[in-house]
Amino acid sequence: MIKFLLKGILGDKNRSVLPIIIITIGVSLTIILSGYMRGVMGDMIDQNARFDTGHMKIMSRAYAENKAQLPNDLALLGVAQLKEELKSDYPEIKWVDRIKFGGLIDVPDGENASKGQGPAAGMAMDIFNPESGEDARMNLTSSIVKGRLPSKPREALVGSDFAEKLNIKIGDEVTYMGTTMNGSMTFENFIVSGTIRFGMPAMDKGAIVIDISDARQLLDMEDAVGEMLGYLPGGVYDDEEVAPIVKSFNARYANDTDEYAPEMVALRDQNGLSSYLDMVDYFAALFVAIFVFAMSMVLWNTGLLGGLRRYQEFGIRLALGEPKGHIYRTLIYEAILIGIIGSIIGTAIGLVGVYLLQKYGINIGDLMKDSSMMMPTVLRGKFTPELLYIGFIPGLFAMVLGNMLSGIGIYKRSTASLFKELEV
Amino acid sequence: MSENIISLKNVVKKFPVGDGFFTALKGIDLEFEKGEFAGLIGPSGSGKTTLLNIMGSLDAPTEGQALVMGKDIATLSHKQSALLRNMHIGFVFQVYNLLPVYTVFENVEFSLLLQNHTAAERKKMVMDALEWVGIENQADKKPAKLSGGEGQRVAIARAMVKRPEIVLADEPTANLDAKNAHAILKTMKQLNKELGTTFVFSTHDEKVMGYLDRIISLEDGKVVKDEVVEAQYTV
Repeated sequence: MIKFLLKGILGDKNRSVLPIIIITIGVSLTIILSGYMRGVMGDMIDQNARFDTGHMKIMSRAYAENKAQLPNDLALLGVAQLKEELKSDYPEIKWVDRIKFGGLIDVPDGENASKGQGPAAGMAMDIFNPESGEDARMNLTSSIVKGRLPSKPREALVGSDFAEKLNIKIGDEVTYMGTTMNGSMTFENFIVSGTIRFGMPAMDKGAIVIDISDARQLLDMEDAVGEMLGYLPGGVYDDEEVAPIVKSFNARYANDTDEYAPEMVALRDQNGLSSYLDMVDYFAALFVAIFVFAMSMVLWNTGLLGGLRRYQEFGIRLALGEPKGHIYRTLIYEAILIGIIGSIIGTAIGLVGVYLLQKYGINIGDLMKDSSMMMPTVLRGKFTPELLYIGFIPGLFAMVLGNMLSGIGIYKRSTASLFKELEV
Repeated sequence: MSENIISLKNVVKKFPVGDGFFTALKGIDLEFEKGEFAGLIGPSGSGKTTLLNIMGSLDAPTEGQALVMGKDIATLSHKQSALLRNMHIGFVFQVYNLLPVYTVFENVEFSLLLQNHTAAERKKMVMDALEWVGIENQADKKPAKLSGGEGQRVAIARAMVKRPEIVLADEPTANLDAKNAHAILKTMKQLNKELGTTFVFSTHDEKVMGYLDRIISLEDGKVVKDEVVEAQYTV
């Protein structure tokens, strides 16, 4: 009987081709949209994690409360000891120091006059120590447009747009003007070792990147740090892994009333990222639900039309003594078979689509020119294992559901009236 | 002693029409014995097809009793009705109603699939049936490649392959020319004689009537004449 059904499906193109096309389109669209959305959201989260939030971040309570103002006067103190404790308590987590600072960059013209000035968003990280992993984490080397990474004190990278705007060349000296953590004025000259483009307009427009040791000296922040970022070993944020670490760390300081006591915050609780994370799950579920509903409706109608077209066949089969229940079941078996074929083709096409989106992405650089959002200019899809089933199962389900609904119409008719309608 | 395989007692069939009912059969009393070659004749709307549907367990009487192979049609479940049709009743239709996707062999084989015969048994039974109707060399063809006469022969083979006790034929020659109609009717008559299958026709066709041993005239849902006749054509 299975061979009989299979031959019927393969022989009758109208019975199989249209549903397979519908399933294929639906499944591939679901996979491409899900993969793309997850990629974009994942990139944004990853970007935030690498540049700003870490998978978890430790700040002083006072700093955390005002972190938007980059209040280095409220920085975390006793960093060396804290880091030793963290390494001992959470040996698998990689901890890195970051200092963010604001100020003014002045470009002298060589005659003690100013060639140009601009506000700078400074970022200090452990560049000189290759074991810190900051170069790879921040894609520093690959983001350099001209020049090289700072390799010695008093060298700096500046954002390429910033450099262009102020006409800064590699090897030029620029002067930073700002305030220390104690509130006094500070001035320091840096040699521009390179220009950098992060692919984020917010950073490229005014960034200056220096080594953390320079920043500590510049800002009087010995044994202090604005933010200490922690990264999970796999490099991928996992809320379930981070939450207990945050909970246990903060519990240790629960009875400490010092406003400078350290406080740990998970990625999802920073920069509104919890909404992003929830949105990723929400949209993924929404896509699947819409897909199943829409496909079921289409396939229901396709099934009804197919059923009408096959009235003659059903009539013959009834007359030959096939029970109605058996006919109904064979319709479902056919639906499963067609659903599987369509879902496999759709999944394959969808995965190729996601792969291409992951490799080439969609460049929205022109749209982001004036944006201050921290997000990449090339939005890419992401190939994840769940894409293997996220379209497949709904595709199969929609086909079976559509055929079950249309089949009921046939099943409910009395044999005689169905037979009469068949005009056999 | 002859054996009744269909017994209809005061069969009434009503169909709902609007707020009321249309009575298609008004108290039919008929009996068919094994091996009969009988026909229901009468104008359109006289109840021939409705009666054939009840005898084929495709429909149940509203009143009265219809016993087919000793089973009361009105009391059978869908599944039991299907089993009765599958094991004991063959249908031949006005249009041949072959499934276009399948070959001649597969069209004939279908009802055997429902009976769970082995592949070897099915092959033998199908080839025997095709041989009975003289188209064993067309087994691999698709229905679209057959002539009208050949198509109806396949339909007869399909009805006969499971060796049913009863074959119900609704206007089987309506779409055939005279030559093919006679050929088909001769084949059916031959099978009736050789296998003892009971044939009941619904027909307007005088050619069919020429082969019948019994003619039952229906009019307005009633049997107006039921006579045993001398068949004009023999095999």
